[in-house]
Amino acid sequence: MSADGGIPAALPAAAAPPGDPALDTLDRLAAERATGALHGRGGALYLADGVVVHAESHAVPDVGCRLTVGGRLPAECWEEAVARGGPGHGAGRFLVEHGRLTAGELELCHLSALFDAAYFVLCPLDRTQRGPQRFLREARHWFGPVRPVPVPLLRRETARRARLLERAWPRPEVDTSPVVPVAGRAARETAARGRGAVLAAADGQRTPLQIACTLGRSAFTTLLDVRRLAAAGLVRTPERGAPAAPAPPRPGTAAAPDITLLYRIRDALEAL
Amino acid sequence: MTGIDGCLADAMTVPGARGASLVDWTSGLALGAVGTWPDGDPEGAAAEAAELARTAFENFAPAAPAAPAPAGAPVEELVVTARDSYHLIRFVETSFDSSVFVHLWLDRTEANLAMALFRLRDVTARLVPA
Repeated sequence: MSADGGIPAALPAAAAPPGDPALDTLDRLAAERATGALHGRGGALYLADGVVVHAESHAVPDVGCRLTVGGRLPAECWEEAVARGGPGHGAGRFLVEHGRLTAGELELCHLSALFDAAYFVLCPLDRTQRGPQRFLREARHWFGPVRPVPVPLLRRETARRARLLERAWPRPEVDTSPVVPVAGRAARETAARGRGAVLAAADGQRTPLQIACTLGRSAFTTLLDVRRLAAAGLVRTPERGAPAAPAPPRPGTAAAPDITLLYRIRDALEAL
Repeated sequence: MTGIDGCLADAMTVPGARGASLVDWTSGLALGAVGTWPDGDPEGAAAEAAELARTAFENFAPAAPAAPAPAGAPVEELVVTARDSYHLIRFVETSFDSSVFVHLWLDRTEANLAMALFRLRDVTARLVPA
């Protein structure tokens, strides 16, 4: 595919303003064919020989959440892959080698999680936060490489996603507020499958990203659905001055083993 | 060869195949593309096919059902008959969250539509078993 091609003139250069230091850093690391992890407040991008092999963000359901919440894998299967495949940086490969997933399923699920996390790493929801800047050389992710993504493709896709959100409903405040269904109207919604699930999970307390984690669903897709529902007048942000609801625990991530955190700490220490 | 590359290579063995791609229809991202594409632009073709797929998926979905909806995607395939080619789009169903389809572009004089549809079902079933 033409993944290595330059950025076509028809597309905006990037989601972030031109000269975004994080994107400059990413381009430089790609040109250097660098290996390591580019960390920011929103999460991290992992590179191997200058291509992106993994991305993680606390805002986004990870591969384990996606596979277990929908019932594709029992939690024990996922934990086994992390525990046995993780030390050799090959948890993903373990799932295929042991017949838990087909290679196609692994690639689809991993790419979906990678592009999803990368969006929130490069475009943090909190606009005051900067993009990722800190690069830990030689850091590798325990999931292991699956299907590497060239940096120019990732940048184009991130820009396209920002544009889609803007076009759906240009009010970013719905991204971070609890999603409140509009009484009376929401019940009549005949939204397409995914959007209907998002609407059903909107309880006036969960934010779009908490809904994504509850459903084991792409955070970007959920955000896009919430913006479209807001544009259609089916959901709104809470009344101004209303007491803030306590944030519910993030379901779906509760089962994630602490071992993933340990791997992250180890990877970071090794990179020092 | 298995996975996305294997799936696309399989699709290219369908008689009359010009190009095959795997596309995420939420954003129009081509996760993989092989063969030739209009204007030599697989990413542009993917974005346009995604628009079509999204429209079909969202508008032909059953209205909010009173009873639980039957399992499976509301739309399985799209066939576009162009003057000199066919565009086949087959949605890939997964038991985890995803929104992808395989797009096969065929030369109309060389392709057999019924056979191509049959083969495409086989190709996607090997990517993600039903």
